[in-house]
Amino acid sequence: MATQVIICDDSNMARKQMSRALPEGWDTEVTLAKNGQEALEIIKQGQHEIMFLDLTMPVLDGYGTLEAIKAEDLPIMVIVVSGDIQPEARERVKKLGAIDFIKKPVDQEKIKQVLQDYGIWGGE
Amino acid sequence: MTDVSSLPPISLTEDERDCYQEITNVAMGQAADRLARLLNVYVVLPIPNVNIIELNEFKMTLKSLEDAPSVSAVCQGFIGAGIAGEALLIFNDASFEDIAQLLKYPIATDEHQELEMLMDVANVLNGACIQGIGGQLDIDFSQSHPLVLGQHCDISELVNTKKSHWQRTMAIEINYTIEDHNINCDLLLLFTEDSVRHMNRLISFLLED
Repeated sequence: MATQVIICDDSNMARKQMSRALPEGWDTEVTLAKNGQEALEIIKQGQHEIMFLDLTMPVLDGYGTLEAIKAEDLPIMVIVVSGDIQPEARERVKKLGAIDFIKKPVDQEKIKQVLQDYGIWGGE
Repeated sequence: MTDVSSLPPISLTEDERDCYQEITNVAMGQAADRLARLLNVYVVLPIPNVNIIELNEFKMTLKSLEDAPSVSAVCQGFIGAGIAGEALLIFNDASFEDIAQLLKYPIATDEHQELEMLMDVANVLNGACIQGIGGQLDIDFSQSHPLVLGQHCDISELVNTKKSHWQRTMAIEINYTIEDHNINCDLLLLFTEDSVRHMNRLISFLLED
């Protein structure tokens, strides 16, 4: 069965880049969200397993989204994908429950590695 | 050479604007990381603004950036692969006290020391941001030496728009603030019209489906 994935980013280009960077052999169904609020609504439908989340977004940013997921104990694994490469940003999102951090522009190999490290995708 | 005056005025589609915004987002993150390490702070990153502006609107754009009574500013040109522009870093003068503290300067700084701090921060922020944008477009930008436009002046005095040959420009505005400190500055990246036409061709490969 296809893995239900959410890609949350305010940039259309970034959403496309992220979709393209997912491993080719990984059977997924991708739902797109333009900000944290849209993402939360999608998560609450309860069908999604993993979300790639940007940090800097209007309406509800990545930090706010992680806080809401934590506060409401929503069942989703979050990998933050951001251009904010300050060490502090990485620490903060991990404290807020993100399982990992991938820097932008996204690198396909890095995504593969993270997915395999966490047993989300078994590889080809 | 193309006669620029005969070309249609530059404009951006929604996809192009989004693309510049995302490229800037990545570049300013790299710049923030450098500044965060230099000052040992956390830099709060905004969503950058990308706009085409007419030169006669430029003073208004500057005014809207900072409502501080007094600012100091440095500009730095960059050029490479047919693209040219200016990076303009504008500091709210109230920021200097905190920057001095973070850079471990003596408490009472004079104008010369402020200039030094301004140059230090400008070198980090401008340089990293320009190279960050260049890196994503595969362009190696050369940068000119930073030039002080003014210290402790009114923002509208910064730029003499009458002197410029540009009619329109693409302006990318980034407002940096530093968490838990009273530090605020704006980085404005300005690209000439020709450069924007050229860059629009360069980014088209990023926008392909």
